[in-house]
Amino acid sequence: MVQKQRQDAAINALRMIPTKWAVIIVVAIIGYVLLQPQVNKWFGWSLPSVASLVGDEKPTSKTKQEKPNSVEKTSTPKSDSKQSQAAVEKKSDQDDSRSKTPTAQPRVSDQQVGAEPPSEKFHGILVEIGRNRFESPAGLVYGPGSEEGHRLKHIERHLEDQPKRPGLHGVFDGDMHAFLVAIDDAYSRAKSGGKGTKKIPDQGSTIYEASFAKPIGFLGGQEGGRKRQPPLKKLRVVVRGNSVITAFPFQ
Amino acid sequence: MNSQDSKIIYVESCPICGDGLCRVRICVSNQMVTGFILCDECEAMWTDPFMQERIPTISEETEPQCPNCEQSIWGKNTHWANIGEVCLLGWFDRVQMVDE
Repeated sequence: MVQKQRQDAAINALRMIPTKWAVIIVVAIIGYVLLQPQVNKWFGWSLPSVASLVGDEKPTSKTKQEKPNSVEKTSTPKSDSKQSQAAVEKKSDQDDSRSKTPTAQPRVSDQQVGAEPPSEKFHGILVEIGRNRFESPAGLVYGPGSEEGHRLKHIERHLEDQPKRPGLHGVFDGDMHAFLVAIDDAYSRAKSGGKGTKKIPDQGSTIYEASFAKPIGFLGGQEGGRKRQPPLKKLRVVVRGNSVITAFPFQ
Repeated sequence: MNSQDSKIIYVESCPICGDGLCRVRICVSNQMVTGFILCDECEAMWTDPFMQERIPTISEETEPQCPNCEQSIWGKNTHWANIGEVCLLGWFDRVQMVDE
């Protein structure tokens, strides 16, 4: 409505000035329309487009959108595309209402072209089978329990050393995904009585042990520190039924 | 925060799993305080710090329970013992302490 009134006002203003001046103004406008993008590009200026001056588009949003697009074209590695996507999303958060319009969404999804679709599995390996309960491919279940509140949180403690902790503290050398894969591997081999494995029934629980060809972690804790953190090649998995109680590398 | 809270009070390393610490766990239920020894890694349980008598897990399907009230050992009524509670249980001579 306001835009219509502006256009009418502009037309009325043009009618009031002599024809010669009207022609000059129109030519100047056409020249500006044609040269504005080039001038911005050559001199790094941010002259507003005619559309933005009229009110169809906000000038700042266009210049902001151009940067992510240039990153998108040059970024081929997966990590780079993720970064550029994150950059676009961050921009979108900071940007004005234009970025929240549906037209901005395809730009974000364009960044995902070539990237793997997000995995639906927790830690890339676990499937949710119930409320806060996750199952691994080998059939191990990670659910609520332990001091940390969840078994996954509990075994996560073995991804880092605890130098002040008395005694031994097996530390897995890798991320959570790799740790869960190793636990599954050890459990599967030990359950089927594979070479270099042990299965020790305990009161209400079972302890599975399996050796690996290469070190999977190191010995931490106070005792590990005293021994200069020797590498560990074995993994111990304590389960109750098929529910994991704990798992850690050991000597 | 009490300075005692930042200390780990334990009896010894767990003879079952080798990685855990056998610590004094307290369960307060129906105005009764129950103390027992619990491995913070594999959840093996003993009746006292002499660690001669195991507290068996009822079944593979259930979590370890307090031997007195049969609630979960990780329930809201439970916590790691502080020095005062260890003394009240008469177990002070059997434990070691280290900063957490």
